[in-house]
Amino acid sequence: MKITFNLNGKGMELDVDPMSLALDVIRGLSLTGTKEGCGVGVCGACTIMVNGSPVSSCICLVGTLSDKDVWTIEGLAEKMPELIDSFVEKEGMQCGICTPGQIVAAAAIDSVGASSPEDIKKYMAGNLCRCTGYQTILSAVEEYVAIN
Amino acid sequence: MSERRIDAVAKATGASKYTADVVLEGMAYAAVKRSDFPSALIENIDTSIAEKMEGVLGVFTAKDLPVKTNLYGRRVFDVPILADGRVRRVGDPIAAVVGTSREIAEAAAELIEIDYKELPAVTTAREAIKSGAPLVHERPWEYDGAVVTPDSGSNIQSIDTHGSLEASEAALRNAVHIVDEIYTTPGDHQGYIEPQSCVVDYQNDGTLTVWATNKSPYRLRDVLATVFSLDPKKIEVMPTILGGDFGGKGAPGDAPLCTALSMLMKRPIKMTLRYGEDLLSTDGRHGSEIRVRLGIDGEGKLLGGIMEALLDGGAYAGFKPVPTVNLHGIVDAAIAYRIPEFFVESKIVYTNNQPKGHMRAPGSPQAAFAFESAIDELGRRSGMGPVKIREVNLLSDGDVNPYGDTWIEHRGKEVLALATSQPNNLQVPKGWLYGEGVAVYARSMAAVPKTSLRLRRGQGGKIIAEVPIPENGAGGQTVVREMLRSGLGLSADQVEVKQVSTSLLPTDAGVGGSRVSLGVTVAVANAIKLWKQLPADQDLVEVTTTEGSDGPSGAYSVQLARVAVDPATGQLKVLEIISAVDVAEIVNEKAHQMQIDGGTVMGFGFAVMEDLLEDDGRVWALSMGDFKIPNVADIPTLTTVLLRGGRGVGPNNIKAVGELTNCPTAAAIANAVADATGARLRKLPIKAEAIYWAMKEGNAR
Repeated sequence: MKITFNLNGKGMELDVDPMSLALDVIRGLSLTGTKEGCGVGVCGACTIMVNGSPVSSCICLVGTLSDKDVWTIEGLAEKMPELIDSFVEKEGMQCGICTPGQIVAAAAIDSVGASSPEDIKKYMAGNLCRCTGYQTILSAVEEYVAIN
Repeated sequence: MSERRIDAVAKATGASKYTADVVLEGMAYAAVKRSDFPSALIENIDTSIAEKMEGVLGVFTAKDLPVKTNLYGRRVFDVPILADGRVRRVGDPIAAVVGTSREIAEAAAELIEIDYKELPAVTTAREAIKSGAPLVHERPWEYDGAVVTPDSGSNIQSIDTHGSLEASEAALRNAVHIVDEIYTTPGDHQGYIEPQSCVVDYQNDGTLTVWATNKSPYRLRDVLATVFSLDPKKIEVMPTILGGDFGGKGAPGDAPLCTALSMLMKRPIKMTLRYGEDLLSTDGRHGSEIRVRLGIDGEGKLLGGIMEALLDGGAYAGFKPVPTVNLHGIVDAAIAYRIPEFFVESKIVYTNNQPKGHMRAPGSPQAAFAFESAIDELGRRSGMGPVKIREVNLLSDGDVNPYGDTWIEHRGKEVLALATSQPNNLQVPKGWLYGEGVAVYARSMAAVPKTSLRLRRGQGGKIIAEVPIPENGAGGQTVVREMLRSGLGLSADQVEVKQVSTSLLPTDAGVGGSRVSLGVTVAVANAIKLWKQLPADQDLVEVTTTEGSDGPSGAYSVQLARVAVDPATGQLKVLEIISAVDVAEIVNEKAHQMQIDGGTVMGFGFAVMEDLLEDDGRVWALSMGDFKIPNVADIPTLTTVLLRGGRGVGPNNIKAVGELTNCPTAAAIANAVADATGARLRKLPIKAEAIYWAMKEGNAR
């Protein structure tokens, strides 16, 4: 079945089973910055941005993306260099496997308008990190929110 | 150090390639059918339906494997690649399917029909050591690398001891105050976000190329060489990035199985675990039951101690890499204290549960929870209080620890004073009980590990450093760059650090034991020396460190937990954890701080939430929805205070940090709960219900 949507700012038409997972379809396009972690929508490593909101692509059927505006880390890295810079400068990462998901989630923070440190914490709670203890990730997101 | 970490941009933009991102031409996908029973004979395997499924390329069982031995391991070779006639745990792989996609292979694996004859299972360590208990392995002493004998007792994987039981018992008889309690901890999982994965490509000329979520590429190469009778020189373990490790990625994982499948299918094979499979089938932290007896004299001085630990090793011993096949963190439990007589026994047993391996400071989180809870109880019962009893008994410079070592310095008391003197700006919820608890941890500094390193001249005055180990996130490669930059007077962009495959450097011991920075600093310092003397017409130096030690030395961390408990429900809020840490020089401040914070959060998870929920021979926490690790909203305020100026080891005068802060946290929290409520929680994880009932059942204040 043909599905059309915008992916990283470009129109995309794919002939896929609409019941496929968005995660698998996106990774199949060599966009491997979107990671598979828990596979059940808990860890956030697979986060993509759909119409401005963060979505766990591991529990998202690709058919639901029809006519939507979809961004992955690869597209956001070009579109929002200041957000990447915040994570790089604050070293909001160690092993890096959760990092794309953290950054995509942060990119979609306007969807809820979180701005205080407490709001940011609550908003980012859907993205697990086992390495850093979260402090540098929070600093990165806080800096990005402050700049914007 | 201001330069950012070497891998920051690639990781932040999604460009970094992990094992699961590797795609090879002609690659097929593997999945396995796993055992449904903790202990059973396999009477029949019917693969006929699976074989007929469209897209299935092959289905294989143990009899098909092209191996010298169907067994592998890190030290003890007792883990079957595919179960042969018998399963010993839920999750044992029985048959492997190769398909044109991962989904096809997984679906076909579920179509394999197994006829089992169930056998009695032992599903707790306590049951396993009873005489007449069902045997998980009939003759475990016959495995390569086994440390047990026919006389070791039933279901024993290993027993490690230190000290004299008789002398310690005699010492305790003279004690004025005694504590004698049992502490238990559950099976845990490393909780890395990247599930285990491997890609293996075997070619007809006998070369084997391996990408794997593995932190010890040289050891993986050697295990594969042994299992498949291959020349190690023909095996290439390729560079990769690890998406978290914490001890879980030292084992060969599914690389032996995928090697066999690649040989059989004559094409590259990829296998990536679903997270639930990873929780079920890999090698987490041993659950423990630890009895601690401690006694003090009238002045509060420790006279003796006895610690008996019983650990659930699960169905295989093969995930423990050390010669003792034990966890040295258990035996080392009293390392910070002056105790004239101390006996410790660490008994690890086979059960029909998930096999357990190494997780961040193997044995120490369990041992520190038990020991630091017990000494706290003794401090409170004797009237000394929890801080005073530690002040009186922590080692001072020149003291000999219970293992006969004299470290070059002991800063435990200073670190304790730092932890207990921090300001308190917390808001305690109205009507809640407030408490503080402290816990001490110390570990000896790892000896210099075997590692190697090569420097080459690159283009435009650049230096390329080739290293043998994958970046696991802790920042080892950035440490290499920073040392070369400062040692050779270069700018950051004039130094390139890259991991190379296993044929290109002589050796490495792998990531682990808080030793990476030390090994790397020794190797880089040696390389810099040689590089400076290098004749202009040459462009290469190669160094290999030899195992050795600068010590004996060690580092301390003391944590103070500040908690609030709702007296109506037992709900626990850990408000703040103060980590006071003993440091010498710090090579990379940010990376060092992240090791402290990440460790503390992992210790917090161990204390209050993580549990594989192993019961009746099954892991019940089979997704991250059930196996909870801390998220950013769960965690307390993290405060770090560094006691600088310590005497470290190696050319950069450093102290290891990676395993310092995840160990004392659980005891600090349990001690704080006792302080707040009077209720003593001796079982992890500490949940509201347990606090509620402990308060209700009479020992509350």
